[in-house]
Amino acid sequence: MADFTAVKELTDAQLDDLVHPPQLVQGTEKFHDITESVCVVAEAHRAPKAWYVAFGIAVTFLGILGAMIFHLVTTGVGVWGNNQPVAWGWPIVNFVFWVGIGHAGTLISAVLFLFRQGWRTGINRFAEAMTIFAVICAGMFPAIHVGRIWVIYWVFPIPNQMDMWPNFRSPLLWDVFAVSTYFTVSLLFWYMGLVPDLATQRDRAKTKLRKMLYGAFALGWNGSNRQWHRYERAYLILAALATPLVLSVHSVVSFDFAISQLPGWHTTIFPPYFVAGAIFSGFAMVMTLAVPARQLFGLKHLITMRHLELINKVIMATGMLVGYAYAMEAFMAWYSGNKYEGFTFVNRAFGPYAWAYWIMVSCNVISPQIFWFKKARRSIPIMFIVSIFVNIGMWFERFVIVVTSLNRDFLPSSWNYFTPTIVDLLTLMGSFGLFFTLFLLFCRWLPQVAMAEVKNVMPAAHAHGPDHEEDQ
Amino acid sequence: MTSSANIYPADDASAVASRASRIGLLVGVVGLAAAWFLGSAEDDHMRHFWMSYLVAFFLLVTFTMGGMFFVLIQHITGAKWSVTVRRQAEFIMGAVPFVGLLAIPFLIPLFSHDGVEHGGLLWSWVYPHGEHQALIEGKVGFLNREFFVGRLVFYFVIWSIIARYFKKNSLAQDADGDEARTVAMRKRSAVCIIIFALSISFAGFDLIMSTDPAWFSTIFGVYIFAGCVISIHALLTLSSMFLQRKGHLKGMVTVEHYHDLGKMMMAFTIFWAYIAFSQYFLYWYANMPEETAWYLRRIGDEWGYLSWFQLFGHFVIPFLGILSRHVKRNRKLLCFWAVYMLTVQAIDLYWLVAPNLYPEGSPFSMVEVCTFTGMLGLFVFAVYRQATKHSILAHRDPLMDQCLAFKNF
Amino acid sequence: MTTPKTHGIIAEFDSVDAIIAAANQVREAGYTKWDCHTPFPVHGLDDAMAIKQTKLPWLVLVMGISGCLGGMFLQWWTNAYDYVYIISGKPAWSLPANIPVMFEMTILFSALTAFFSMWIINNLPKWYNPLFHAASFTKVTDDRFVLAIESRDPLYGEATRGLLQSAGALAMEEVNPPEDDGLMPSKLKGWLGVVFSLMLLPPVMIASSMYSNSSEPRVHLVPDMDSQMSFGEQEASSFFADGRSMRAPIAGTYAQEDDHLLGEKPGYYTGKEDGAYLTALPVEVTQELMARGQERFGIYCGVCHGMGGKGDGAVSRRAQKLEMATWVQPADLHTDLVKVQPPGQIFETMTNGIRTMPGYARQIPVQDRWAIVLYLQALQRASAGE
Repeated sequence: MADFTAVKELTDAQLDDLVHPPQLVQGTEKFHDITESVCVVAEAHRAPKAWYVAFGIAVTFLGILGAMIFHLVTTGVGVWGNNQPVAWGWPIVNFVFWVGIGHAGTLISAVLFLFRQGWRTGINRFAEAMTIFAVICAGMFPAIHVGRIWVIYWVFPIPNQMDMWPNFRSPLLWDVFAVSTYFTVSLLFWYMGLVPDLATQRDRAKTKLRKMLYGAFALGWNGSNRQWHRYERAYLILAALATPLVLSVHSVVSFDFAISQLPGWHTTIFPPYFVAGAIFSGFAMVMTLAVPARQLFGLKHLITMRHLELINKVIMATGMLVGYAYAMEAFMAWYSGNKYEGFTFVNRAFGPYAWAYWIMVSCNVISPQIFWFKKARRSIPIMFIVSIFVNIGMWFERFVIVVTSLNRDFLPSSWNYFTPTIVDLLTLMGSFGLFFTLFLLFCRWLPQVAMAEVKNVMPAAHAHGPDHEEDQ
Repeated sequence: MTSSANIYPADDASAVASRASRIGLLVGVVGLAAAWFLGSAEDDHMRHFWMSYLVAFFLLVTFTMGGMFFVLIQHITGAKWSVTVRRQAEFIMGAVPFVGLLAIPFLIPLFSHDGVEHGGLLWSWVYPHGEHQALIEGKVGFLNREFFVGRLVFYFVIWSIIARYFKKNSLAQDADGDEARTVAMRKRSAVCIIIFALSISFAGFDLIMSTDPAWFSTIFGVYIFAGCVISIHALLTLSSMFLQRKGHLKGMVTVEHYHDLGKMMMAFTIFWAYIAFSQYFLYWYANMPEETAWYLRRIGDEWGYLSWFQLFGHFVIPFLGILSRHVKRNRKLLCFWAVYMLTVQAIDLYWLVAPNLYPEGSPFSMVEVCTFTGMLGLFVFAVYRQATKHSILAHRDPLMDQCLAFKNF
Repeated sequence: MTTPKTHGIIAEFDSVDAIIAAANQVREAGYTKWDCHTPFPVHGLDDAMAIKQTKLPWLVLVMGISGCLGGMFLQWWTNAYDYVYIISGKPAWSLPANIPVMFEMTILFSALTAFFSMWIINNLPKWYNPLFHAASFTKVTDDRFVLAIESRDPLYGEATRGLLQSAGALAMEEVNPPEDDGLMPSKLKGWLGVVFSLMLLPPVMIASSMYSNSSEPRVHLVPDMDSQMSFGEQEASSFFADGRSMRAPIAGTYAQEDDHLLGEKPGYYTGKEDGAYLTALPVEVTQELMARGQERFGIYCGVCHGMGGKGDGAVSRRAQKLEMATWVQPADLHTDLVKVQPPGQIFETMTNGIRTMPGYARQIPVQDRWAIVLYLQALQRASAGE
């Protein structure tokens, strides 16, 4: 087998060729090489050293998260910085942040599939995994922020001895349904895509334990074409369902704010604006993960510069959508003649949280502009740094939205400054620990690239005859 | 500088196109003239006529802007499926300067001294009065006649520049098949789409949203955009079918392309419903009078039926109708739905404007019928006139081979 | 002649074109019990095998619509029918507010249907498969394309090998699964049995506790409200110097029945002065007071004591009609036992109740009680004349 870690990055000339873009898989035309390069990662007796270091750090932060949640549950919500009037502080910001990150995975899996974009196959497996882990982190926050976590099951409409039902007119309950549906559908979609690849790992397994575990989850998949036919149909349906789902979930999350009457919150553009922002931050996270993963696990021939440049272009496009929303909000704040709305916008830029506002603007609007330059789009260090900035910026966007509108609303006598506590900070850092622990476990034991799907977009997968499909 | 080795010939539809454009011009002139005379018979200083003219005019704006968006997005994404229909979209986009000329008559309602009791013949901020006077006077820095006209001129100038650039380059590619042109257009489309997004939003605010100057919605630009996108895909479907019936585009626009056009119509119908619902729902839920007044006008006895139509006729029925793969691949059915979607687009724009000017109920009469017919005739004229001089197929586009090769799921 | 033990034959190909061509040949030859196995879905193979479109999408549509309607019904039933309450001015059945959940349930039901029905129709999970016993079959999930023809196909025979050879097979293999293929190992059966029996325990335990009695108090899953941090009466508290949670009344506090501080005649509030019942009414006797007393007597007292005070009120008559064993007949207010009672005692009885009669202090204000006493005196005098 050829050594793929030495595969060279694509050249400018190759990337600029519009009519014959570079192959999605570099360095080989053989299916077997795909199988080998992806499976050896999970089959390796020892993971790369960097994996152990990263895993150690991630588990440490996971432990911190556990400690913070324990402290929260035993002491109470007062350990956080929430006060009056900023009764919704970091937990909700973190929730929206994590849910947003999850959206890119679904977009790559589902929406790009519907648009016949073959390049998605290099990254869709771990983007979907990223979605599931992000949604787990996200779902944790509303659960722990309710105060009495031991009765969290009251959010579900289960018949009970109190003869009470939850309030379906509340967006908080819509969140419950939306995020649970999103988690379920993402998990189903991800698992469905995994089954053929698990079958591959089952068939290569050297030990009985591996054969049993991979085999159990591979459900006995044998590549039968009759099975593939129904599988493809179901995959298309799930992709077609996941697309409106992705739009709806972050719209429902935006409803948490937009259905209120608070200036800065109550504005009709929130649903599509939040969705665009979610995809923006999600793709940035994909970039943050893809750059080290392809290096560390020798996947540069499957996740090529073509993939990375396309991710950067999506980051630019969605960043522009977010910028458009900022512009619309700012214009309407004046045009509406609503002096509270107008004040909110001036306050955001020049009030006590101006520092957060300008971090947000420089990270979200200004930093992706560097991608107008081809060299920047194709530079690994620059794209990695920009992706980190975008994630920071998107966290701050949710912070600015939540905190500035609450901290200074209609009545000046109610104004109060919000300061996070160390518990807030450590809980957020701990959630990264949870995310990375799960993600690193995925990288270690499961196929990071969708082998069957990648094989499907190689030239050898296409029959030569009257009906043939070119790589899109 | 590479040339593509394509062997597709140009498609000269000048005979069909010139006939269509002549009929369009005739219908257009007669229609608008009839509308003018019918409108002057109503004793309202032509207010009804101007409202119909505004809605029909903006319908054409959404068509041409839909065309512009289509061309820009196909270039940005490097899409291949659309190459065979893109030239028609370029012609639709190319009608924008002509549509700009059709805006000149708006000077009449803007500078007229009639209709003061309504605030103006069309836009009621021209003479601020009534309970919102202070509010509207607060916006006079933006909503005043001079700045308004200046903005309108600006929109059409910039749209004409963008349309000209992309059409010119595409037509030049017919002659030399130069791939570098595609690269250049791809690069430019990114900046142009930003300009498009902002300009169509503000054009929507100016022409449509300001008919109720007290009301506002940040999502309004996106709402207008959704209508533009549904319209262009419907128009491309109908235009391609028409040309193919007349013997052109043989084997160039296949069932796969129609399937994709149908998919986009469906997807953006869902998108439209999502945007429309978001706007309505948020205003319903917060129940703030300054925002709900606009909707209250549309849910009472006077206009309620049209709002129900928006829900069922603009979303539920087309959603269920175009859902099936079979429908999207069937010519007759898809043709029906394309006509249907264009009709509901016109009704949508009417619903946005008419209740603001006629809260007491719809004045719908032959005035609207003639205005719309006339405007559509002029649109056909403006679009097909270009087809008399150029090929209706971008036959030397370097991506043509791949365009014809793909198969849908 | 087919060999009973063999499952069938598999042929290996190494390219997409080859498998499609082979599939065409096998289909044209008329075979029915065969399949292709590929590492990824090969486009064009469906047509080569003449596979019909699956009905899966229709099932998904039906379930999706059920999800939508189910969501609407759920929200209507819980918020607008079973537990109705108005919140933030929204109607009990707020259809616009129900759209998000309806939408999510449509997607959820559709997705679950698509996912599970796909596996079910595909007959998976099915961890054993005779084909897994063929050595070359493991390459299917890697880079080889396999065409398998089962021995139970009527056309299966010597010609099959020849057909596959001519189609360009790289290698062929007969699939001979062992005798016990497909049977669950007995160890696994044992474990499943154990797990299943354990799973029966919770419902059995629940059923047994539902249909038995216990003198123990109920298990309280959410004891949040049981031990509250607020102080109970007479509870000690370290917060105050005197160690009590209860505070003494401040200077100037007076009892509710402190008549003279409130400007009333002595005994107004209690019917007693210095421990002895009042013998005269502590209120001014007027025509209005009498009329008031008649009205109030009719409202509060007549139901049991009868409108004439004879103890034959409607409630009492009904109870006797139903032959209620525990019913104590209300007193006849014209008996000597009652007539001899001073007004203050009547007042006290009304206020605090007596025997099975409850006290009416909460329902009848003090002034009205004296009005009723006045009216009763009039009733008693009227009957004395009979």
